[in-house]
Amino acid sequence: MTEPGPSQQIFELWKKGMEESAQAWGRLLGQSPAAPPDPTAFWRPLVDQWVQAWARMFAATPLTPDMAAQWKQFLDHSIDAWSRALGQAMNTDAFARLLGQYLDQWLAVYGPARKVADQQIESALQTLNMASRTQLTSVARQIVELEERVERVEDGVNAVLRKLDELGRLLARREPDARAVPGER
Amino acid sequence: MGQERFADIVERFTNGFAEARSGVSPEVVKRWQEELDRSVRRLRNLGVLLGAPGGPRTGVTPRAQVYQRNKSRLYRYESPRRYRTPLLFVPNLGISRPYIFDLLPGGSFIEHMTREGFDFFLLDWGVFGPEDDQLTLEECVTTILPRMVRKVQETSGQAELSILGYCMGAPLSASYLGWAVDPPVRNFIDMAGPIDFSKVGLFGLWLDRKYFDVDRFVDTLGTVPADMVRAGFKLLKPTMDLSTNLNLWWNLWNDRYVEGFTALNRWANEYVAFPGEFFRQWVRDYYQDNKLFRGELRLAGRPVKLGAITCPVFAVGAREDYIAPPACVAALIDAVSSREKEYVELPGGHISLIAGRGAAVHCWPRVSGWLAPRSV
Repeated sequence: MTEPGPSQQIFELWKKGMEESAQAWGRLLGQSPAAPPDPTAFWRPLVDQWVQAWARMFAATPLTPDMAAQWKQFLDHSIDAWSRALGQAMNTDAFARLLGQYLDQWLAVYGPARKVADQQIESALQTLNMASRTQLTSVARQIVELEERVERVEDGVNAVLRKLDELGRLLARREPDARAVPGER
Repeated sequence: MGQERFADIVERFTNGFAEARSGVSPEVVKRWQEELDRSVRRLRNLGVLLGAPGGPRTGVTPRAQVYQRNKSRLYRYESPRRYRTPLLFVPNLGISRPYIFDLLPGGSFIEHMTREGFDFFLLDWGVFGPEDDQLTLEECVTTILPRMVRKVQETSGQAELSILGYCMGAPLSASYLGWAVDPPVRNFIDMAGPIDFSKVGLFGLWLDRKYFDVDRFVDTLGTVPADMVRAGFKLLKPTMDLSTNLNLWWNLWNDRYVEGFTALNRWANEYVAFPGEFFRQWVRDYYQDNKLFRGELRLAGRPVKLGAITCPVFAVGAREDYIAPPACVAALIDAVSSREKEYVELPGGHISLIAGRGAAVHCWPRVSGWLAPRSV
């Protein structure tokens, strides 16, 4: 392998930055009561592989479209590593608690704000003598309920029809027997 | 440099360039030409993508609507109907639209099943609005599903049918099978449908009672909006959009890829809201209390027992499924009383298990192959 060029020095810097950020992730996850995963494990092989790939590419002349393929492979591996690291971070009680707290706070703000906005819109529509969202929803609900009732009646009628049909078949089977019995005996 | 004539520099440059060119192998030149060609096609397809983002027509397998109740619809697909027992496909309620199962000609699960000769029925739960907030999971399992089953029987003229539940559709169907008295179901297939919710992964953790107050959530929001559903799913895999766009750029030269991408991308960004009461019951009874698997679920006054399922059961899990990890799907096998039961784990994720090129190779033939001898 040749002496590291300026581009490789940049990659070394990048690698160092990544490792530091991975350590920061590790510290963050270390706050959770569960055993902290080691996100740096994702980065080391990835960065090594990447640096080697670039070294090979620079050593080979002239440049070929493989450069783009190498770059794509690197990005794929990076995204995959990020995905796994984030997956681990999100699969902790600490993250679930944080998410729950965030949602609670959001609901605490959104709930009253929405109520006020709905009231304002409702009164504005009432002033304009227009149907409000609540009224429209209520009408739609009534239609759905009506449809359901019709459906139940239809189900009931169908059940009766099925029973009648069965009865009809039963009678049709018995009728020849009933007619045959007095004549033959 | 100052002593040199400009003409000398030009000459040396051009000669040097010629020497360099003579060192380049024809193979490399050819590959650069190919790459250039791909770049041109990338730009052309990018223009098409930006200019007409609608994409190709999806869901083109011929079908007829045989029943409608409020938002829910039952479709019957055209097929040679070589097998007597009809198949009712029950997908997830909310979250996404069911046209993913009939995405594009040549890449459609429904097209595969109809071509194989199954009498295929699809239950489309529909897109819900605030007027559907009172729709409960209990109503879906004890009213809508039995009605759909009856409609399939009436339309096909067959006394029995098979049910294929995908994703949430599988636990809903399993609940129906465990609840109904002597259901007219000959076979049951669970594709990527969670049954044991204690093994359900990230969603199971986030929706844990300790962190997520479902009552407060539903009481505040009413309908769980589509944007909220989207946020939840995006959070499951935050890097998904990045890798999707990177792969799009990489494959943008490929017309077939672009066609598939546009159709899939449109589906992937078309989220559907949850009716509030349905969501409450789904999260509380299934995710938080795991009542279905523990045999503690009661619907319309009757217990739901997975052990009451005796028909042949086929469960399919996807190895990289982070929505319904294989372990929570495989749990169905030990929970049912069926004599004939089988679990397979196939490559792919939650969606790619049933949609896409991999599914056509790994999954669809397995499903149709299992079902065919049991549908005569």
